[in-house]
Amino acid sequence: MSRVEKKEERLMDLLALEAVQKLSIEEQQELKMLLDLFPEYTQDHFHEMTALAQVSFYTQDNYNNESIPRQMRKRILHAYKAELGRTTFMDHVNHYMRVFFYKPQYAWTLTVLMTIGLSFSMIEFKDYENNFKYLPLKRAVLEMTANDIIQFPWYSRSIDLEGISGNIIWSDEGQKGFIKLTGMPMNDPTQNQYQVWIVDPLNHEQPVDGGVFDVTQTDQSVIIPINPKLPISRAVGFAITLEQPGGVVVSSQPILLTAPKERPQITI
Amino acid sequence: MVQPANLIHLKSRRMSTVQSDNDNSILARIAAGENGSFELLIEKYGNLVWSIGKKFLYRQSDVEDAVQEVFIAIWKSANKFDPQKAKEITFVSMIARRRFIDHLRKVSKHKNLESIDDKKSGHQLYKESMLNESTDLQLIKQAIESLDIDDQELLNLSIYQGYSHSEIAKLLNLPLGTVKTKIRRNLIKLKGIFKNNEIATIVNLNNV
Repeated sequence: MSRVEKKEERLMDLLALEAVQKLSIEEQQELKMLLDLFPEYTQDHFHEMTALAQVSFYTQDNYNNESIPRQMRKRILHAYKAELGRTTFMDHVNHYMRVFFYKPQYAWTLTVLMTIGLSFSMIEFKDYENNFKYLPLKRAVLEMTANDIIQFPWYSRSIDLEGISGNIIWSDEGQKGFIKLTGMPMNDPTQNQYQVWIVDPLNHEQPVDGGVFDVTQTDQSVIIPINPKLPISRAVGFAITLEQPGGVVVSSQPILLTAPKERPQITI
Repeated sequence: MVQPANLIHLKSRRMSTVQSDNDNSILARIAAGENGSFELLIEKYGNLVWSIGKKFLYRQSDVEDAVQEVFIAIWKSANKFDPQKAKEITFVSMIARRRFIDHLRKVSKHKNLESIDDKKSGHQLYKESMLNESTDLQLIKQAIESLDIDDQELLNLSIYQGYSHSEIAKLLNLPLGTVKTKIRRNLIKLKGIFKNNEIATIVNLNNV
């Protein structure tokens, strides 16, 4: 089999897999690359057929005869009406925006105001993900908006750190999370920094670097953002170590805290 | 062998039928903002989407969330529906399928429980009318039935019940690589048979 044929076979593998289950981030990237090589194929190569086959299997399934509950119908209609109201509102907003922009003096005024606002935002939110401003607010926003939040309490792995409390929240979809810690000893940033590790066994054999942070106070809770250096597919655990300033790629230092208590095994 | 010119003629004939179908399709009515069209959509496809959701997802709350998302997504995409590319039932089930696969990833693994058999005879009629209404559905049914029984079961587990390759490997006690290869080969085979049957049907239509 030639290299081209092998690549085409791999493409068919991924298209077939994509038609029946969700691909990992790496598989999605590989599929995109192969689709660029074979433009005669599209990502939905098997979609129509699998959708029809699914309905066909359903029509042949004598044990699947459940009607959609009346309550469910009501719920869908309620959601539809809410969505319809929202869309109508946005249509009105768009309409007025269009009318507004037909008047040049309004458009210029708005452009100047937006430029001032944008400049302020760029100064204020420079390096937004990494800065440590408004962290309680950012954490609350993530908690409210993400649908896939996981949360674990921290467990001390060292006798010296037994009084520490706090937790971690994380969203795979958002690729971000926040650590909350109370009672963590202060570090000297010129000597060492705390480093966060993310355990994602489906995609990474080694824990992924989640960024470094400093603790500058012990009497109050601190909130730290997690900034993974690689894409996380499914985070199942987290750890904190004390490393040299700037952090390391692979840690050889003892683990100080873990969340959850035991390192999770691979679960699909 | 069908000549291309013939096929163009046959397809245009089929498209004219499709065009009239589209005028009556629920999705066209939804796209036109017709009152009561969304309720019709739930009426026609509610049982189908609900039953498939129950096959994919274990927790009742997950099924409910996913089914709601499916119907809102269909409503939002109704203006993209093109009857020359796919039939309404295909369009609906494609959206439902992608949403359920997405949900399967987010939530804990599904567990396939047999559904409540509430009104079997009524459901039989519902399913038969669905089957009678769609030529594509009849063609795919024929295509599936032309496969070996083992391969039909494999596709049932994968496509209909939403089991992952590794779950199927465990269930059927087969190596993971074998499951992957078999599913890939059977999907390619099924697509080939389906397309051939589709051409044969168009030819038959022309001969009527």
